Amino acid sequence: MARFILRSLLSTAVTMFLVSLALFLLVEVGSGDITVKILGVFSTPEQRASYRAQLGLDQPWYLRYLDWLVGNDWRAERLVGHPLVTVRNPQSGELEWWAQVAGEQLRWDMEEGQIYELVRQEDGSAMRRPAPETIWREGPEGEAVFWGVDEQNRAAMWIQGKPGVAFILTKAGMRQETDAPHRYIPLRKGLLRGDPGMSLMTGRPVMATLPTRIRNTFVLAGLAFMVVMPLALLFGIVAGVNEGRPLDRTISITSLALTATPEFVTGVFLILILGIWLRVLPPTTVFLSDSDIWNLKLLVLPVLTLTAVELGYVVRMTRASMVEVMNSPYIRTAILKGMPFRRVVFRHAVRNALMAPITVIMLHVNWLVGGIVVVEVVFGFPGLGSYIYDAAIFGDFNAVEAAAMLMVTIAVGTRLVGDVIYTLLNPRIRYS
Amino acid sequence: MSQPTPRIHPLIYEAQDQLRRGRITRREFMRYATLLGASVATASALAACAQPTAPAQEGAAPAEGGGAAAPAQEAAPASVQRGGTLRKAMQLQRIDHPARMSWVEAANVVRQVAEYLTLTGPDNITRPYLLERWEASDDVQTWTLYLRKGITFNNGQELTADDVIFTIGQWLDPDVGSSMLGLISYWGGMENVEKVDDYTIRLHLQSPNIAVPEHLFHYPAVILPRTFEGDFIKQPVGTGAFTLAEYAEGERAVLKARPDYWQTGVDGQPLPYLDEIIYVSIDKDAAVAAIQAGQIDSIYQPRPSDYLALKDVPGISVYSVGTAQTFVLRVRVDLEPWDDNRVRTALKKCQDREKILQLSYFGEGLVGIDAHVSPVHPEYCEQPIPAYDPEGARALLEEYAAEKGIELPLRVTLATKNDEAEPEIAQALKELAEPAGFDITLDITEPSGYWDRWTEVDLGITAWTHRPLGIMVLPLAYIADEEGKPVPWNETRWVDEEFTQKLREAERTLDLEARREIMCDIEAIMQERGPIGISYWKNVWNITRSEFQNVVAHPTSYDLLYEIWKEA
Repeated sequence: MARFILRSLLSTAVTMFLVSLALFLLVEVGSGDITVKILGVFSTPEQRASYRAQLGLDQPWYLRYLDWLVGNDWRAERLVGHPLVTVRNPQSGELEWWAQVAGEQLRWDMEEGQIYELVRQEDGSAMRRPAPETIWREGPEGEAVFWGVDEQNRAAMWIQGKPGVAFILTKAGMRQETDAPHRYIPLRKGLLRGDPGMSLMTGRPVMATLPTRIRNTFVLAGLAFMVVMPLALLFGIVAGVNEGRPLDRTISITSLALTATPEFVTGVFLILILGIWLRVLPPTTVFLSDSDIWNLKLLVLPVLTLTAVELGYVVRMTRASMVEVMNSPYIRTAILKGMPFRRVVFRHAVRNALMAPITVIMLHVNWLVGGIVVVEVVFGFPGLGSYIYDAAIFGDFNAVEAAAMLMVTIAVGTRLVGDVIYTLLNPRIRYS
Repeated sequence: MSQPTPRIHPLIYEAQDQLRRGRITRREFMRYATLLGASVATASALAACAQPTAPAQEGAAPAEGGGAAAPAQEAAPASVQRGGTLRKAMQLQRIDHPARMSWVEAANVVRQVAEYLTLTGPDNITRPYLLERWEASDDVQTWTLYLRKGITFNNGQELTADDVIFTIGQWLDPDVGSSMLGLISYWGGMENVEKVDDYTIRLHLQSPNIAVPEHLFHYPAVILPRTFEGDFIKQPVGTGAFTLAEYAEGERAVLKARPDYWQTGVDGQPLPYLDEIIYVSIDKDAAVAAIQAGQIDSIYQPRPSDYLALKDVPGISVYSVGTAQTFVLRVRVDLEPWDDNRVRTALKKCQDREKILQLSYFGEGLVGIDAHVSPVHPEYCEQPIPAYDPEGARALLEEYAAEKGIELPLRVTLATKNDEAEPEIAQALKELAEPAGFDITLDITEPSGYWDRWTEVDLGITAWTHRPLGIMVLPLAYIADEEGKPVPWNETRWVDEEFTQKLREAERTLDLEARREIMCDIEAIMQERGPIGISYWKNVWNITRSEFQNVVAHPTSYDLLYEIWKEA
């Protein structure tokens, strides 16, 4: 048992790693040139190159993958030569990167070729003073270089006597700025340390938006799960036991019809009938405050829609499995030896018949969390699915990767749970 | 009152005279007079004097206080009710520095909290707002702005010229990166902005311009307190009727009424009437269902499909307003066959304007002439609407084909985006142009795909947005720069010397009548040899539940909510 679970855990870890790599590469290939999307089609190649460098996109992909996974402050620390720390700015409430130098927290800035030190004050503001000449180090090509932290939370490399040129994005277009660094490393802690980076879409950390979306989705998916699964298993078992009888036919045909109807059709009909004509339920999930997620009335229609889609599938799976088990010799034996029918079904049949549905159910947990984009859009539900959709349309790779990784974790995690339930249901796995 | 009588611009009296003789309408007079710095009260008084039935009182119209906010005076209902929440569906994006705003949606949230010096109403008339009035010198190069007194920010600080100067500084600071920077480049920088006293600012423009009041209502131009540090969400300070209680990108914005707002309602209490506004960021399809069930009360910028779905629903009111937004059928005049004016004219003759309007926009618009000036513009010169003439077009094309030695039909590709009404217009045009000898292939792509190449395609339909004055779009799209190259947005590459000259003249002409006369020539040139066809100017709608009163549709979808009240 323990060995089986251990093996599952190990394979989970390996799967996670491979998937994260694949995901990163997919987004890499699929998202195209994000700078064109952000800067617009009228931007020049130099402007795009400058902006790519500022986003750290000029690094090779394996380095960026590493940055994304485990962060890059440790890499930048070696270049800067001082520990890098994050401090919350009491005014804006956002985390900022600073270098810890001899009891002070510093950032740097260049003006007319001269490097200035910005010393962090208690209230979050900074005091400016010229940096000593001793900061310059010899670079790889013999020039004097300096690695520091700039005001945009990046490790940056300036070259003495050779100020760089950067294009800064403003709403009025690209602005050319001299005294710019030559290389950038946008500092981040990495996904494993809970920092998926900045969202290009909102301009705020991904983690500022994601948790609410995850909670919303968990509430919706959890409710749908709690409604669908008991119902589906019940109907499936009833149909399976009554194979061929009118009750079975009714359940089978209804579930087939429900499975065959796409969720946007069911959803729109439910909205029209219950929401707009009869006015018994709110047709969409408009959250006027964050706590509206607990207003269950709002969630009735999305849960009903999900139930309609999910129910038929699991019912048919359970029924088929049940029919198979009910026709097996050991069940016949149990009936023949005079055991009460109810006991035969619940003691002997159900347990074996549930093996196949469990796999399906576990897969559906995953689908409920991220795959219900259509339902979320129809009802205007602010969940994880629509978040990934919006982010993908924008090309917001940090947000897509973070949200997708989360879904992968759930997928792999539910598989793990499925495995454990298997072992409990089936002793053969337990002892093999 | 000890207040000095404001100086009345000499041209206003001239306009008053024209009004009296029926040469301009009252609306045009109002627009004109307020443009030249008369407060609306003054202008109304002058207009009243000019009514043929009223006793003629040459030039005698002292402004009475001049303090009344213009929109509040119009159509005041007998009683209003206070309280209630307005819930509106609108996408919410990132907001940081208001001067940097690039979306009307963001501006709609900010404008509830912070306000503009002027206000361009749904009628395209620009009025003083935080300003009490303005004055233009006779050469329209010096503008004096008189700030209203006694207005406080929601942090208790009083609004003075210092705040306005600070805000102008933010617009002109390249580090802020405001789109105002380009728009008001003719101001010539901060050194031309003079603080006369605590409530007076004088602008010494580098080049004369008559659109200063309109530019002060450009959506990033809200007035900020001089203590502003750069992020509006963290420091939502303004003079507006509401305060920002919550802002979450992609989720919602919650605004609460402020008790000490400077404008007063018809019941004598300070505005606003509503207690609360909530913007919710939901998908438009979901919003259509939500408004019918009363989960929300209004939808930002309804699409034509939303209009169709909601126009006959009881309990929901649709307000529509004509705009200068349009779909421009345009050709590249530097490419064959469009370099020949006969082909261009033939294509323009293929527009059955009424039919195109019906097919693509259910008749919700004003048919247009083939010049980029809308009938809602004050200086629009009325011209007959050209008729659908496939025979005339065919004759022109046959002449062209014979000359070039080619066979009709002429094969061309029409590019546009799969958006609001463009595919329908393209399809209609394809059918309408067939008898004339055009064989049009449609190339319809996603909006971003079209915007990637909108200036490059040889035949296309481009959507152009609303601007309050007729002279504002023409220099963006139909002239060349100093080096003789077409300006960046000149998608047609059409440059016409006579046209440019006339346009420059119009841009300097304050006199509305005179400007309209120049406009007649400009429109004639564009119709005769220009590169564009305009079938119609579209309406926009404001769709709001009927219990809300005082709702108006604004041509640019700006939300003016401080006077809306809800019937209990």
